[in-house]
Amino acid sequence: MLHVGPLGRVVFAACWIAGQTTLVLTAPLRADRAFGFRMFPEASVMEIHLVREVGGARFAVPRGEWNARDRSGQVRHFSWRDRVHDKTLAAVDTPPVFASYGLETQVARLQHALDDVADHIPGDAETTRLGAEVVFRKNGREPGSLTLLSHSRLP
Amino acid sequence: MFSAIRRWRDEVGDPYVLGVVRVVLGVLLFANALRAARELKDGYFGDAFHWPIVPEALVPSRTAYTVLVVAQVLLAVLVVAGYWARPAIMISALAGTYVLCCDRLEFHHNRWALFCYSLLLALSPCDRSFCVAGDPASLRIGPLWAARLAQLQLSLVYLASGGSKLLDPDWRSGRVILERFHLFGYQAVARGVPPALVDWLARPEVGSALAKLAIGTELFLAAGLWRRRTRIFALWWGACFHLLVEATSRVEGFTWLTLAAYALFATPDVRARKLFYDSTRLRGRMIARAVSLLDWLGRFEIKPWAPDAVKTGRAVVIVRRDGTRATGVGALAMVARTVPLLFPLWGPLAFIASFTKGGEANAAA
Repeated sequence: MLHVGPLGRVVFAACWIAGQTTLVLTAPLRADRAFGFRMFPEASVMEIHLVREVGGARFAVPRGEWNARDRSGQVRHFSWRDRVHDKTLAAVDTPPVFASYGLETQVARLQHALDDVADHIPGDAETTRLGAEVVFRKNGREPGSLTLLSHSRLP
Repeated sequence: MFSAIRRWRDEVGDPYVLGVVRVVLGVLLFANALRAARELKDGYFGDAFHWPIVPEALVPSRTAYTVLVVAQVLLAVLVVAGYWARPAIMISALAGTYVLCCDRLEFHHNRWALFCYSLLLALSPCDRSFCVAGDPASLRIGPLWAARLAQLQLSLVYLASGGSKLLDPDWRSGRVILERFHLFGYQAVARGVPPALVDWLARPEVGSALAKLAIGTELFLAAGLWRRRTRIFALWWGACFHLLVEATSRVEGFTWLTLAAYALFATPDVRARKLFYDSTRLRGRMIARAVSLLDWLGRFEIKPWAPDAVKTGRAVVIVRRDGTRATGVGALAMVARTVPLLFPLWGPLAFIASFTKGGEANAAA
């Protein structure tokens, strides 16, 4: 079992080397640089502050918790952490956390998390979009900031 | 070129060391599966935000994932035990890669590297030593092509890591490494690294020099491990480099994975060196016992001697591959160079031994 003949060895090795090389060289094309073996790429930190858009206005979502009415008018409670368990992404309104695998990786993950949460709060009939204001320090430089928004979730 | 490919394709040797690597990878696979089991106890990843590479439809259900995690634990046990080891390590590698592709939030380079080495090792005769059912003595020679490919994988990891740092101005200037020391220096102190050392490492000029040293180290290791003349130094330097990273950062099992992969660079033979000890002296018996316990790579044939003119007065004499003898600090250096637990001591011991008559210069011996 698992015996590979002489020709198979050459073919397998060629495919393996080509595959690994391709994964490494194309790593910059992936936001999280997965499969690229880029160890310790950055030393950046970030803070996440959530917002939600209601009727065109933005409201802060302290600690990722908010109340909103459902379609029947009942007030319901929602929490970012109910859906987002990743330690970095779940750190809302906390002191700066380390952006493991780099800022771009965490921003890409956060964008997906916003879209994911926006898709999983059917009981919220008020929030049109979720958003995040990210304050970051890339490799110890002066702080910068950016805003991310989920896709629109209500017609 | 073609003859080199043919040599690689048809190379055979004693696969004893591959068994050691299999056991270490098995332990790391076991730890990885246990971590997954613990995380599953806290909640199934598919019930929360996850970011799959594969289509969502291919992400396993909670039940299927539970079965998969239990299977990974059992497979890792088989890998360590050496029973049905090659299929077990192959399935572990494929299952692990599949799980990585189900949630890229859980992607870590060390896990991907573990599955890569595991898959390649599955294609090598890694099941002929360190087996609970006993080693199949009739199969002392096996093909080494897949083990060589695993060695190439290690070089690729170094090249990718060192190359990406070299192309990054923040890394080259030392900015990244300096900021890491500012952010995580306290963790190193908590692990026992002296605070004064951490403070010194966090100085800009030291950070800049360390960054260049780290990049140079990774690029040197990518090539230096392959050259016979530089191999032993590359292995020692790499071991020190990874132990330093282990002490200052959280890298899961990457340090031990890489050090296990280093064993693949050992000459594929068994007990090619001899360690003679004076059985009438406690010191001789103790050294022989310690070496036989720690000689995981099977480098030494250990025998008591009947004292003769050369060996008289020595507790231990080592006969190298080339037949030359090493005694005293030279013998110690030879033991350190071949015994994994003592390997970090090889550098200083070899340096001291180089001032003695016999020296420690014969790299191939």
